[in-house]
Amino acid sequence: MPFLVRSLLTILLLALPLTARAKDDLVIGITQYPASLHPNMDSMMAKTYVMAMALRPLTTFDAKWQLICMLCERLPSFDNGLAKRAPLAAGKSGVALTYTLRADAFWGDGVPVSTDDVLFTWEAGRHPQSGVANAELYQRILNIEVKDAKTFTVHLDRLTFDYNALNDFQLLPAHIERPRFAAAPAEYRNRTAYDQDSTNPGLYNGPYRISAVSLGSHLILEPNPHWRGTKPAFKRVVIRTVENTAALEAQLLSGGVDMIAGELGLPLEQAVALDKRADPRFRVLFKSGLAYEHLDINLSSPIMADKRVRQALLYGLDRQGLSRQLFDGRQPVADSSVNPLDTVHADDTPHYSYDPAKAARLLDEAGWIQTGAVRRNAKGEALSVELMTTAGNRSRELLSQVIQGQWRKLGIDTRLKTEPARVFFGETVTKRRFAHLALFAWISSPESVPRSTLHSSQIPAAANNWTGQNYAGYADARMDALLDAIEIELEAPKRTELWRRLQHLYAEELPALPLFFRADASILPRQLQGLAPTGHQNPSTLWIENWRWQP
Amino acid sequence: MTGWLGSRLIQSLIVLVVMSAVIHGLMGLMPGDPIDLMIASDPHLNAADAIRLKALYGLDRPWGERYLAWIAQVLRGELGYSRLFAKPVLAIIGPALLNSLILMLSALALSLLIAVPLGIVAALRPGRALDHLINAVSFASVSLPTFWLGLMLMVVFAVLLGWLPAGGMQSLSGEASGLADSLRHMALPVATLTIAGIGQYARHTRAAMLAEAGQDYIRTAKAKGCGPARLVLRHQWRNALLPLITLLGLEFGTLFSGALITETVFGWPGMGKLIADAVMGNDFNLALTALMLATAMTLLGSVLADLLMARLDPRIKLR
Amino acid sequence: MTRDLPALIGATLLAALLAATVLAPWLAADPEAMNLSAIHAAPSVQHWLGTDELGRDVASRLLHGGRVSLAVALTTAVLAAGLGTLIGLLAGYHGGRLDAVLMRLTDGVMALPLLPLLIVLAALDPAKLGIGDEIRDSEIFTIGRMVIIIALVGWTGAARLVRAQALTVKTRDYVRAATALGATPTRIMLRHILPNVASPMVVAATLSVGNIILVESALSFLGLGVQPPTASWGNMLTGAMNVVWSAPAQALWPGLAIFITVLAFNLAGDGLQRALDPRK
Repeated sequence: MPFLVRSLLTILLLALPLTARAKDDLVIGITQYPASLHPNMDSMMAKTYVMAMALRPLTTFDAKWQLICMLCERLPSFDNGLAKRAPLAAGKSGVALTYTLRADAFWGDGVPVSTDDVLFTWEAGRHPQSGVANAELYQRILNIEVKDAKTFTVHLDRLTFDYNALNDFQLLPAHIERPRFAAAPAEYRNRTAYDQDSTNPGLYNGPYRISAVSLGSHLILEPNPHWRGTKPAFKRVVIRTVENTAALEAQLLSGGVDMIAGELGLPLEQAVALDKRADPRFRVLFKSGLAYEHLDINLSSPIMADKRVRQALLYGLDRQGLSRQLFDGRQPVADSSVNPLDTVHADDTPHYSYDPAKAARLLDEAGWIQTGAVRRNAKGEALSVELMTTAGNRSRELLSQVIQGQWRKLGIDTRLKTEPARVFFGETVTKRRFAHLALFAWISSPESVPRSTLHSSQIPAAANNWTGQNYAGYADARMDALLDAIEIELEAPKRTELWRRLQHLYAEELPALPLFFRADASILPRQLQGLAPTGHQNPSTLWIENWRWQP
Repeated sequence: MTGWLGSRLIQSLIVLVVMSAVIHGLMGLMPGDPIDLMIASDPHLNAADAIRLKALYGLDRPWGERYLAWIAQVLRGELGYSRLFAKPVLAIIGPALLNSLILMLSALALSLLIAVPLGIVAALRPGRALDHLINAVSFASVSLPTFWLGLMLMVVFAVLLGWLPAGGMQSLSGEASGLADSLRHMALPVATLTIAGIGQYARHTRAAMLAEAGQDYIRTAKAKGCGPARLVLRHQWRNALLPLITLLGLEFGTLFSGALITETVFGWPGMGKLIADAVMGNDFNLALTALMLATAMTLLGSVLADLLMARLDPRIKLR
Repeated sequence: MTRDLPALIGATLLAALLAATVLAPWLAADPEAMNLSAIHAAPSVQHWLGTDELGRDVASRLLHGGRVSLAVALTTAVLAAGLGTLIGLLAGYHGGRLDAVLMRLTDGVMALPLLPLLIVLAALDPAKLGIGDEIRDSEIFTIGRMVIIIALVGWTGAARLVRAQALTVKTRDYVRAATALGATPTRIMLRHILPNVASPMVVAATLSVGNIILVESALSFLGLGVQPPTASWGNMLTGAMNVVWSAPAQALWPGLAIFITVLAFNLAGDGLQRALDPRK
């Protein structure tokens, strides 16, 4: 007995310092591995999430959806004189923006972040063979004037309301990358130090730098010694990839990972179940944001071309009930592609509440008459639609089955079909091969103009190499005019009114069936404070230096 | 004998070339290419970007031309860069292969160590209680989906009991490291593969043992008064292992292609996951090299198995 | 008699399984009927095994899912074993160049890692192969495609085993005697070699039924198996894994169904093997 007591005491004594000690390591679980690390080559959420700890963009949207400076001192505007209208040929108008890089911005090897880096980034970005995916960003830049080591003026070829946002302009360290690029621009994508020498501290200017990479498994980040901002709390941040979400949850419960990122984490219904079990170790932060879950419509199909059918489909869906029963009410119902949290959201947008009687009336009007189980038109054709989505996405599979069930009651036969993501997004949707409906989400940034999804010039076709994202084939002169007008309207109240008209038109015409704004669930240990999910493309890790461990 | 070996190796080389064309072709037949996927995920990309990127990755050229270019590149001794990971192909395959070999070899050795004795014991007295028990174990083993088994082991041993880590290859929080830590991380994935493998080996051993028991020489030996234990140890099991050798020869290749499901569940960065990602990502250089490696090893395994068979079974001659 | 008791149990189980799944539409309620206000309900009089994540009757889905899983597994196993036996027999008996070509073909197919190949095949665009929309969208096509895909890569094991057996059998004295007496190759293959290769083949085929059910579940795990709302044991099990923390019993039923099926096939297979044994 005394032995037992003694052992217990020893264990307790050993355990005490453990609990009181500050936590050095933070292991974050995500479901995707960032294949390559060059910030400008291709975009991938896992890469964005990881690199946000190590690289800071010039500007970004914060957790309150406000545009802020990260690497610059002041956001240029017409009021503060840092933005100037610049007339171009043919009566068009461009803009000249003057930014000053933060004086305390340094690369991890002590070299200051400078205008030389800005020039190199632009040079590499617009080179046709560099392999940068989004060349448009760099082609928009007519010229960059360097004032000194920290100040430069960018001349853009257009003046839009969001003129001062350079969120995707990720600076590259010229002192490391320029020699690699200059030797052979066409080989740059395979020579960049980000992938060939990933642990070189000089590649990173954020609070952390990447210190170890284990392909397909994990990445380790350590504090950047030359970071002058708020000192980050953790000595090591580990990003661990577990693609299977049931296994990821097991990792969390067994202590293999400390937290699960909301940006790339558990599907909502799994997170809701975890939340309901009320495990005292964790708290779940739900953040509904700019991932717009909707049904894309192929307007070229005769059934879908009829507006009354589209409206009937939406009236026939109990989206409120669905959200409540499947997702614990965490996902707000969408009325258009504009999120209610967005400043330009119009509260008076028409809402399609669940009304099966009205849906049936609309279908009758459209000539689809219920005779047997399925409605038919005068020609005897059945009202049969195909709903496609990505294979292996549990939430969407469940959702599509419920949609099928609800529409069946209206006499609509819905056939479900799933495809692997690469086929679905790589071919079926992008080449408008889906018969009627496609269930997926758009992810955007605050007040992002839906030009690529709604403008008639953005309909993918062989002629434009299947670019543009207007998969519906929606062509409406009124919409085109609104989109064009919003982009160049600099006065906020006028722009808000244009946005209001856009949302009304959207809700009336239904170029897509709005479902929900997806909620992401960040699962955090109770002691972790200061993490603010953003709900948009720019991840919460951009502010990792504010994360604190409070035992 | 050497003539036989020579012709088999030449045949294998032909198979390898044919298979590379088949795989290249199948990957090309898959709808959607990575550039289309890139365009779908980035609204800023325009028609010019699509053309530029496809040309850059050589995806705009016809299939035959691309395949020949790949062959020419391989003949020059260049395996090229992975499109997905932007690294030389070998730098990616090396570590993944090592991880897979560690996992697969341990599981194979363990399952044989358990399954072969089980099969022999079961065959000693067919139809008795012990035989039935061993059969039931084998059935359980072959009827468990790997992902289910893996997750269940994880639930019990990692989450409920907390004895073992739920995944990964080593502790990442910096406290524990070294061999003991690696072994702890191996425990669950190896157990999953071992449990899933026991059934088939035990079943095959038992079936082969029973088939041998009916052979004349065994009957003769029995008639001469040879005891059952001596019979099994001296004669029967050696011959009974012959079909097992064929089986193992075929399994040889899987050591190099990894175990996709187990690797996915346990976050084990091996070849299975790598190959699947490369195939789905149209990473031709990476996928072809990895698949050709696995194919070559399977062919080699098959040659080795035949050689071994001929060595052990005097009735078979290699011509 | 007592020796064949396991086989009898196996046959009975098999018959019961087949009957239950074939008669599923008459025995059980609509497997796709949802009730969102009764998600993950506990077993009750209406729902013997409770309900799943959309409030559908698990027992009914199990029976209907069994139809799909068993149909896929049986068709595939027979196709694969038949193809494998034919190729193995030809290669093993004839030897020489034919053997070399067939076995290299086998090696080639076998060398391909199964799952990535299945992923590629499952993702292939039927339109590129000239198959029309009407056929493409039918449920039979998607399931039939899976059967053919698995059979096309699944015959190799049977072929190798049959060939190995044929190689040893053909050197046995009675086969030599038959050849010396002038029996035709076909007759020798059918009369002397086939019965001898039957037992390893039956073992392989019975084991493969279970294997195919597992491959189907693995494909479901990768999102490429039988697609919802159609139930199969594979996709039920995959679905259950996602809710293992909130409704662990969900994972039990399809797992048990797979186990019992594999057990039944193996017991029946063993009995069949003994019945086929030429030495008895």
